[in-house]
Amino acid sequence: MLTDFLQLTAAGLSQGSVYALLAVGLISVYTVRHVINIAQGDFAMMAGLGAVWLISAGMPLFVSIVAAVLTVTLVSVAIERLIIARVKKLTTLVSIILTLGVSTLLQAILLLVWGPEARGLPVFPGSDLTIAGVSIRAQELWMVGALVFVGGGIVFFYEKTRFGKALRACAEQPVAARIVGISPVMASVLAFAIAGFVGAIAGVVSSPIYLSIWSGGLLLGLKGFVAAVLGGFSSFRAAIVGALLLGVLESYVAGYVASGLRDAVAFFILILVLVIRTDGLVLKPTAVRV
Amino acid sequence: MKQSRIRFIAPLAVVTALVLVGCSTSNLGGSTDSDPTGAAETGPIKIGAVLDITGGGANLGVPQQNTLTMLAAALNENGGIDGREVELTIVDNQSTEDGAAKAATKLIESDDVDLILGASRTGPSLAMRSIAEAAEIPMISLAANAAIITDSKWVFKTPQNDVVVLETILDDAESKGYKKLALVRDASGFGEGVADYITDLGADRGITLEMTESFELTATDFTPQMTNVRASDADAVIIWGINPAAGLAQKAYGQLAVDKPVYQSHGVASPAFFEAAGDAADGVIIPNGRLLIASELDAADPQRKVIDAFEADYSAAYGTPASSFAGYAYDAWNIAVNALAEAGTDSEALRDAIEGTTDLVGVSGVYNMTADDHSGLDASSLILAEAQGGVWSLYKD
Amino acid sequence: MSNKTRSLSTTPTFVGTLTAKKPSFWVTNRGATIGCSILVLAAIIIPFTASPAMMNVAVFAMIFALPAIGLNLLMGLAGQVSLGQAAFFAIGAYTHAILLTKFDLPGPVAAVGAIVMAMIVALLVGLPLMRLRGHYLALATLGLGFIVMIIVREWDFTGRTTGIYGIPRPEVFGVVINNNGYFFWFLTPFVVIGLILAINLSRSRAGRALSAVNDSELAAESLGVNTYALRLKVFVISAGFAGIGGVFYAYQVAIVSPQVASFHLSVEILLMVVIGGLGSVWGALAGSFLVEFLGEGMSEIIPALIPGATGEVQLLGYGIVLVLVILLLPGGLHQVAAAGWARATGLWRRRGAESARGIRRPAHTAADLHEPIVADAETTDIALPAISVPVAAGEPILVIEGLTKQYGGVTAVNNVSFSVPAGTILGLIGPNGAGKTTCFNMISGALAPTSGSVTFLGTSIAGRKPHVAADLGLTRTFQNLQVFTSTDVVGNVYMGRFRKGRAGVLRGMLGMQTGEQHENRTLARDLLQSMHLTDVADEAAAALPFGRQRMMEVCRALASEPALLLLDEPMAGLSGHERDVLANLLRRLRTAGLTIVLVEHDVAQVMSLADHVAVLDDGVLIAHGDPETVRNDPAVVVAYLGTDIDEAEHDLIELEEHV
Repeated sequence: MLTDFLQLTAAGLSQGSVYALLAVGLISVYTVRHVINIAQGDFAMMAGLGAVWLISAGMPLFVSIVAAVLTVTLVSVAIERLIIARVKKLTTLVSIILTLGVSTLLQAILLLVWGPEARGLPVFPGSDLTIAGVSIRAQELWMVGALVFVGGGIVFFYEKTRFGKALRACAEQPVAARIVGISPVMASVLAFAIAGFVGAIAGVVSSPIYLSIWSGGLLLGLKGFVAAVLGGFSSFRAAIVGALLLGVLESYVAGYVASGLRDAVAFFILILVLVIRTDGLVLKPTAVRV
Repeated sequence: MKQSRIRFIAPLAVVTALVLVGCSTSNLGGSTDSDPTGAAETGPIKIGAVLDITGGGANLGVPQQNTLTMLAAALNENGGIDGREVELTIVDNQSTEDGAAKAATKLIESDDVDLILGASRTGPSLAMRSIAEAAEIPMISLAANAAIITDSKWVFKTPQNDVVVLETILDDAESKGYKKLALVRDASGFGEGVADYITDLGADRGITLEMTESFELTATDFTPQMTNVRASDADAVIIWGINPAAGLAQKAYGQLAVDKPVYQSHGVASPAFFEAAGDAADGVIIPNGRLLIASELDAADPQRKVIDAFEADYSAAYGTPASSFAGYAYDAWNIAVNALAEAGTDSEALRDAIEGTTDLVGVSGVYNMTADDHSGLDASSLILAEAQGGVWSLYKD
Repeated sequence: MSNKTRSLSTTPTFVGTLTAKKPSFWVTNRGATIGCSILVLAAIIIPFTASPAMMNVAVFAMIFALPAIGLNLLMGLAGQVSLGQAAFFAIGAYTHAILLTKFDLPGPVAAVGAIVMAMIVALLVGLPLMRLRGHYLALATLGLGFIVMIIVREWDFTGRTTGIYGIPRPEVFGVVINNNGYFFWFLTPFVVIGLILAINLSRSRAGRALSAVNDSELAAESLGVNTYALRLKVFVISAGFAGIGGVFYAYQVAIVSPQVASFHLSVEILLMVVIGGLGSVWGALAGSFLVEFLGEGMSEIIPALIPGATGEVQLLGYGIVLVLVILLLPGGLHQVAAAGWARATGLWRRRGAESARGIRRPAHTAADLHEPIVADAETTDIALPAISVPVAAGEPILVIEGLTKQYGGVTAVNNVSFSVPAGTILGLIGPNGAGKTTCFNMISGALAPTSGSVTFLGTSIAGRKPHVAADLGLTRTFQNLQVFTSTDVVGNVYMGRFRKGRAGVLRGMLGMQTGEQHENRTLARDLLQSMHLTDVADEAAAALPFGRQRMMEVCRALASEPALLLLDEPMAGLSGHERDVLANLLRRLRTAGLTIVLVEHDVAQVMSLADHVAVLDDGVLIAHGDPETVRNDPAVVVAYLGTDIDEAEHDLIELEEHV
């Protein structure tokens, strides 16, 4: 019993690490642009499929991964420059429709370029472990490791460095940001670059186990969003904890209740949290100026 | 009041668009000819096919499309049926139910077909069933679920019923003395009802179903299901799904070191299974038609000749081996052609002829249709195959 | 309403000026009538002329037009993004299918059951979800779509992944609807009725209130609009439209599987609305035809262009179109049609005009708008708007006790208490940052106090939403103008009448309120006349100069026939003359019995206008009394004008000279 429990926990934590990386990407963009990027999960799928393709073209694993991650980062920046920045009055309604359009477009491109099948990268180097009957795949350690190093690095950047703090303040206090030499344009580009980067990292580390498929990004991105909501959509740390919790909870539901309900967990939590803490979850209540 | 103008323009645009492309075919009563029984008895014979060519069922639909195209060309080269040319119209349903319904309606109402083949999967086939029945046009589905044909006058299908496949598995399990089974099935129409069949069929054989787990068609992580299977006291496991999910389930099974024998279904009988499952595939047993292990068949086997010919034609035309799914299309085509040759295109007579199919040797087995059995295959159409080193071979105890 | 409206015999009121005749049905509904007639005609003809392939697509376009019209109401009218419209479509389709196949109910009963079920579910999920804003609502509805899909997929009752099949063909007067032509005819009346209901709703009292909410939620609520309730109603109606779409889908396809709840269907419906133009009901219909044909075309063209392309390739088209429409054509087809019509009529007019010198000069140039008001400020023969006088003059109408607001550790307003007698003007003054506006916002409901009570006409309104106070007769204006930018000046003032209307969403949808609407519109024009705004009545509100926008806001507030008027810096941005006009009007209103509280920077105006003056400093009420007492209170002088006593004295002298 205990072995099973630990086995499910381990699987949940590795899956949760992927959600956490996506949540970090979503929050990066949200704090600067007040846009929830529905295409966030598609970055992961694009990186995964791109890397698979590079490997099939004869490139070594890590070269393919680096190339895919950098490409996706550039794609994310291009989306910001060519599409998001073009809209003069980016209302909530417009931003949702726009990123939804981008997401649909990216999915269609992935489908046209790499076809409808799910593909996976080969597993990363390392050997699987069995600790007290619990099998831990080396790839799962890579996933958790990606969260610790990449996710942790981004959080450190935002929370500890002067530049990062100014970037976060950019949305509320453009003046403060300018003092350290960040223009709103640069802040926005940087935010999308970070979002593309962490999304791509999440995509490549999860690809060997969870595979990459053209249509998989939406659900993945949504789970990142749920994690971000759990963290109040402003705290990276809380979002990461929320993501890990979500991953573990999904794993328990799939193991102990019914695997078909796995994907429903995130949305029940989302609606429950939003309903119970309607006010508490709205960012910083913008001061009413009337 | 500028904004109000669109209320004229919108419907006007609709009207113009539709009127401009208009043609004379009636939308108000099915076929254009006045013969109430359906189709003309002269001129080309029209066969429509609705297949899952794109979308989730593409693995099934594409080889079926290839097969039908190839067979229609060959038939017409040889003079068609009774000197009448055969016009084959293939429509893609994009693996959706409403796509299948739209396609079937189009075939019946605008192309005026005499017979419909398809769809590749259960859901779209069910969506077409009522349309074919309302129009009283015979339909031969290429999908497995028995619900497609249950109590239907007009609908037939070529793959084995699930029950027949499960009987084969359970017979083998009984012979090996397995008492308790675990089932891990996919959550699509293919996997539904399997647990009930196992419980029913197992009762006669002293086999009980210990537990059932399910997975989505698009699932990639199977840790929770396999963790539960590992913890159960089942003697053997049945994994019931199609590729790639069923192959990935097999892979997780290996990674989590579950050491129980595994049966999979005829849904994994393609090379994609080995790509997904890797080394974990070794030792898996599946029931399947003889196409899978054709080279090992006895020369005297009645199916040998048919299978060899089909394999040769298919790989000559498309450069890849034919899959079992292509076989279902091959058999459906031959059943249809035989019935058309016998009864012509009067839909009632054609239906009777299909129901009267006897001893038709096909790729998937030998068909014997009756009023009660619109599938026509029994357990003798199946063999057991074992995966070893990336290929399927005939399983010998 | 406990308020009674009193028409004072001493001053002429608007009631007598209501002479204009109610416009005929034809005038108000010409567009919709012609449009619907064309649509019906088209629907009759199409099955005879369209090719079967086109017919097939047209039937699905008509089916999807229903959820698209519903979503258009929600997004265009209520400004709420739903990414889960397919969920209600699916609920309608499943309920219909289940009632028909498992309970053998007759078609119409099953259909009504399906629509009701979709609406009930919408009500249940809407109750909590409609409190959410923007992104949260969009993603929560997206989650709802997934939940519905998972439930129908996992539940035996809904047939799991296979779904419900074997749905019988509908039958009308013994005719079985078993081909696309009949089905199209069967479907058309419902689409037309749906269109009419939606058009009526968007033009109704509720519809106008919703578009006002989109412009300024706070201003709309301050005029008595219960935003939450209204949005919830539209959400439920929108689900009803989706539900009936699901009914027809179930009939047409004869199988309902979890795919009907899929996200891609929600995107498709959203695309129909966006292409058609947000807020345009006809656009939703046009959009659904366009998207269906686009989808059909794309899935044929793309595989031809890109060999080996498989799957839902039409998504490429959807994605491109979504992005391009938002970037280049935010108004969708509606925008194209409106521009095309404008050009066509422009050409027509130019050709027809006797002097072909060009386009007609607009009624008002920017210079016109800045022309000073020439009317005599002291004029008294202009009619006064009606006001409510619920309590006798001198009785307390507003009582504030211990009002406190804390932000974190900062106390913005600290334990403020005062009461306002009916029929008087109270001036609330204080230096910048003294907490005047915070105080104001707590009274009107825009802010919830940390502690303390606000009692208006005996009802406690502290912490309640602004529409509660507005319903009781408390209306306000705003320091930072809250103009309804999507409508004209008369439309803004018209919104002020919201509180006095009674027509609800249902009456609105049935078009049973034109009389009331016409009456209110006439009233709004009369009111504009009293503020010398008649010349700009039909201008876009956003185009007005600042000062006149402020006057318009006062008009808007007065249109609601308030008992208590809260004015937040009404003089700011007004010319000297305009100030005099306003001050004069306020005095006359007071004489008529209206109670007014104003926050004002122009101390001189306050001192001359107010019966009582309250002074806030640093969140504390430091003085409260008649202007004379307050002016001579040394604490006020020091606190208000600073600690530098010389400077204070200097300012004080200046101040007194002003008065």
